Amino acid sequence: MQLVEKIVKGERAAIAKAITLVESSRENDKKESRRLISELLNKPGKSIRIGFSGPPGVGKSTFIESFGRYLVEKNYKLGILAIDPSSQITGGSILGDKTRMIEISKNPNTFIRSTPSRGSLGGISLGTREASIILDAAGYDFIFIETVGVGQSETMATNLVDIFSLIVGPGSGDELQGIKKGITEYADIFIVNKNDGDLKSEASKTASDYKSAISYYKKSSDVADKEVLLVSAIEQTGMEKVIETIQNIVSQNKKNKNFDERRAKQFTYWIEEEVREIIQFSIQNKIKEDGSISKFSQRVLDGEIQMFDAIEAITQNLQNK
Amino acid sequence: MKIKNSENYIKWQKSFERETKIDLSEASSETDEGIKIKPVYTKADIENLSFVDNDSLPGQLPYTRGPKASMYTNRPWTIRQYAGFSTAEESNEFYKKNLKSGQKGLSVAFDLPTHRGYDSDDDLVMGDVGKAGVAIDTVEDMKILFNDIPLDEMSVSMTMNGAVLPVLSSFVVAGEEQNVNKNLLSGTIQNDILKEFMVRNTYIYPPDPSMKIVADIIEFTSKEMPKFNSISISGYHMQEAGADNVLELAYTLADGMEYVRAALSKGLDIDDFAPRLSFFFAIGTDFFMEIAKLRAARTLWYKIMKDFGAKDERSMILRTHCQTSGVSLTEKDPYNNIIRTSYEALSAILGGTQSLHTNSFDEAIALPTDESARIARNTQLILQNETGVTNTIDPLAGSYFIESLTDELSKKAWEIIEEIESLGGMTKAVKAGVPKLKIEESATKKQAKVDSGSRVVVGVNKFKNPKEPKVDVRVIDNNRVREDQIKKINDIKASRDQKAVDESLAKLVAAAKEDSNLLACSIDAIKNRATVGEVSKALEQVYGRHFATSLSVSGVYGKHFEGNKDYMNVAKKVNTFEEENGRRPRVLIVKMGQDGHDRGAKIVATSFADMGFDVDMGPLFQSPKDVAKDAIENDVHAIGVSTLAAGHKTLVPELMKSLKKIDPNSKIVVFVGGVIPEQDYDFLYENNISAIFGPGSNIIESAETVIDLISDKIHKNN
Ligand code: B12
Ligand SMILES: Nc1nc2c(ncn2[C@@H]2O[C@H](COP(=O)(O)OP(=O)(O)O)[C@@H](O)[C@H]2O)c(=O)[nH]1
Ligand SMILES: [Mg+2]
Repeated sequence: MQLVEKIVKGERAAIAKAITLVESSRENDKKESRRLISELLNKPGKSIRIGFSGPPGVGKSTFIESFGRYLVEKNYKLGILAIDPSSQITGGSILGDKTRMIEISKNPNTFIRSTPSRGSLGGISLGTREASIILDAAGYDFIFIETVGVGQSETMATNLVDIFSLIVGPGSGDELQGIKKGITEYADIFIVNKNDGDLKSEASKTASDYKSAISYYKKSSDVADKEVLLVSAIEQTGMEKVIETIQNIVSQNKKNKNFDERRAKQFTYWIEEEVREIIQFSIQNKIKEDGSISKFSQRVLDGEIQMFDAIEAITQNLQNK
Repeated sequence: MKIKNSENYIKWQKSFERETKIDLSEASSETDEGIKIKPVYTKADIENLSFVDNDSLPGQLPYTRGPKASMYTNRPWTIRQYAGFSTAEESNEFYKKNLKSGQKGLSVAFDLPTHRGYDSDDDLVMGDVGKAGVAIDTVEDMKILFNDIPLDEMSVSMTMNGAVLPVLSSFVVAGEEQNVNKNLLSGTIQNDILKEFMVRNTYIYPPDPSMKIVADIIEFTSKEMPKFNSISISGYHMQEAGADNVLELAYTLADGMEYVRAALSKGLDIDDFAPRLSFFFAIGTDFFMEIAKLRAARTLWYKIMKDFGAKDERSMILRTHCQTSGVSLTEKDPYNNIIRTSYEALSAILGGTQSLHTNSFDEAIALPTDESARIARNTQLILQNETGVTNTIDPLAGSYFIESLTDELSKKAWEIIEEIESLGGMTKAVKAGVPKLKIEESATKKQAKVDSGSRVVVGVNKFKNPKEPKVDVRVIDNNRVREDQIKKINDIKASRDQKAVDESLAKLVAAAKEDSNLLACSIDAIKNRATVGEVSKALEQVYGRHFATSLSVSGVYGKHFEGNKDYMNVAKKVNTFEEENGRRPRVLIVKMGQDGHDRGAKIVATSFADMGFDVDMGPLFQSPKDVAKDAIENDVHAIGVSTLAAGHKTLVPELMKSLKKIDPNSKIVVFVGGVIPEQDYDFLYENNISAIFGPGSNIIESAETVIDLISDKIHKNN
């Protein structure tokens, strides 16, 4: 496949077209997409995939600009997948993340793709995993995934990335009480942003809130320790510490095999997901063709048959097809 | 109350309801500001007013009726036309001609590179030199600009905010070298940075150091330039960007308060600088509202300054310049604009402005020609000389309607001012981006009203002219201007004392680091022939360059069209497109070069998103190369270039080249919107532009064209 070669060579337009393909909701595209991905899986690169989640406005995009600038200066190649929420009403979206990634978007060593979330769960859109495989094959050292996936840290961490980091703002420590469990379990790094100007003392306080929250966690020798870091995306401070931490976590997790195990688990999970999707799709088609749902529900409404009997009859029907 | 229930009133109400068949309580109309305008006002409406004092007189507190006792009966307002283009030589010729024909004050429009602190030889400004104003790179240019114009006699207003230090310095040095000491210079420097972050977009440094520069200038001028207005606190640009009159009024006065605090923090006494604060408002087509706005502005400023503890009465008086609204003027049937401008001018005069700019009828096409500028100027000369409006001061005082409207506007604006103050003032609000967003929301509403036809714009959405007239346009050859400027820069760089330049720039940097007054150091550097760009860059080393992050409104446009057939039709097309193509139509909307007009781009973006498009929004000031990278990485179907500052003939071909360079097979559809003279259409089509959307384009129709063009392209490729 010509496209594969072009991707591996790092051709910008080819990478972009490939991502469009894997994001497409058209059935034909899905088949082609599967073929493409299976070929690319034979050509793995060396990228580390890092997730950045956090509520809107905490400065994820700004942080990626700031941290990214630091990385490209060190000659790393950086692929960025930014997922923007789509409007619930119209389904359209304004993808504005790039207005916060002005400097790095000019750099030839970056590839930045914004994707509308299309209302998908987990703040992760259709095709994000596949897109990161494309960027990996294209030779990017780091792949950053920006999502608003608050509360969906699990999906993100278990599905997609090698390191999951949560970006939070000064003062957010108070909210920790309610959501402590999910977050502290799945995040590898907590980045407290906006540690600048008037917000400094609040930011330090938030950092210690998070530190004490994760201190309940048993340290284990298999997994790298969770870290809490203070940064200012705007003043570009704290960035060395971020890369240092990332490198530490990677090397520690690689040493104790945790890194590969995590990827293996994600793989299994992916297969399960695909299977589920295929079955779901075929069921949906069956339901459409079958038409027994509307038939039976009319009978329920007309009082001819009990609701749960109808349900059972419909399922039997579908399963036998 | 007494009057309302009077027998006569009840009789009138009955007749009214009989004639109109409408209940009086339903008969009010609502303005953009959310103010209900009643069919009739009575004495009851001016009892118990909160801000207006019915017994006040002109030149007396609270100054509602005018800053001076005699107003135009003594001296009419100053006719001050904003102008500048191409080189200093050409602008100087233009100024001198205008002064001979009855103009009284000068007002300099600089080009966008100068505004943003770039010299004409900078790669970033290739398409912008001399295009939308005059290019000034060094003090030599400034001297040419005022050649044969005595600076001790002529009052000069300069719209400069971002690069205010080097440009004001050049003016001071130009004066000196004309043998006019700075204490004799009269005029105004705009120096209003907060509204740049909100709407005008020619900032250079981040908000905090920018505010320091404002304060430095107020400090320096209050001590050394007693005849010079240190700032022109501007609401004009807000209205032009889409703000309604309450927002314009409130944000402007709140900005003013912030500048007062900045100056006070320098240890100045309020009465030492406050008399030299001046204002600038836009005058749109809502005739009575605009009159009321100027009266309300004076009333509120008096209150604000009294609360600040001002003692000198001149500190409490708001003096203002006004400009008729450019955005009310249309590309279609452009002679209508002469009529619109006349009404707006009358409104400004009845509101009691101190000086006025009237726009030319070719406003929505290009910079004015000599001919259109003459008609614009004559609009004011006729008002001054033929209509008798100068004979009576504040002639609408005592009008139930005007007085009540003045009070209501004041109240509404005051609420917003208090809200901003409680949030910690305008600098904080601006950093959070709230005022900008509110203005964009208001702009989007206005667009929806016009596109849906609920607001009539003659010649645009109703009463169209079947035979559009052809008009001449001023053409500026920016490549020639750029070459001329580069040559002048090189000559100066070759002949100046480089060591002196380096030393004075180093001193400037040191001053910025230790937080001392920057204007004096900047004057020294300019005197040594440092360029505008060099002075700006020196400070950039300390402060950095500011990149704005911008938020977007959502759902405001769509809300207006619930159930609208044309709108639903486009939304349906978008859904069909998605089914067929596996994704929504995706459009990248961009601003290239130094053009900071983002109103149109933002409105189109939010409206397209409401109709279901995926819209990528580029940042301001992108280069064609960066746009191409963005477009290709995001595999967009189309790029929409929004261009208003006349850079299109350079930047659009450059973009097409960059696209081909990254992807020789690129199928991206490119279209252009904004201010494009018809004379340039063929040039753009020859460069493979698929469609052009000029001023006044209906966004729903535009969206349909865009989606059709994208679909065509996809079908052709299959
Ligand atoms: C509003 C305005 C401003 C505001 C801008 C506020 C803002 N944030 O946008 C303010 C007051 C700040 C301003 C400042 C200046 N302005 Co001005 N401004 C205008 C004005 C009056 C209206 C523009 C506008 O917003 N219209 C409303 C919007 C909704 O319309 P629009 O942008 O045209 O968009 C519509 C269509 O064109 C189309 N469209 C546009 N883009 C796109 C994109 C897509 C994808 C699609 C589908 C459609 C589309 O659809 C839209 C809806 O109908 C025009 C004159 C005019 N009447 O057009 C001058 C004008 C553009 N300005 C001009 C100048 C010179 C300036 C300054 C450079 C002056 C100076 N020397 O200092 C400054 C600097 C500004 C800067 N940073 O670039 C000149 C440019 C000259 C030229 N082209 O030759 C003009 C033409 C006036 C003139 N004749 O002198 N300005
Ligand atoms: N003070 C401060 N503000 C920041 C910082 N990072 C981001 N912001 C601001 O926070 C807002 C949201 O940033 P953005 O990156 O868009 O957030 P996202 O929605 O999480 O991607 C913007 O106004 C930024 O300027 C920071 O480090 N310090
Ligand atoms: Mg973001």
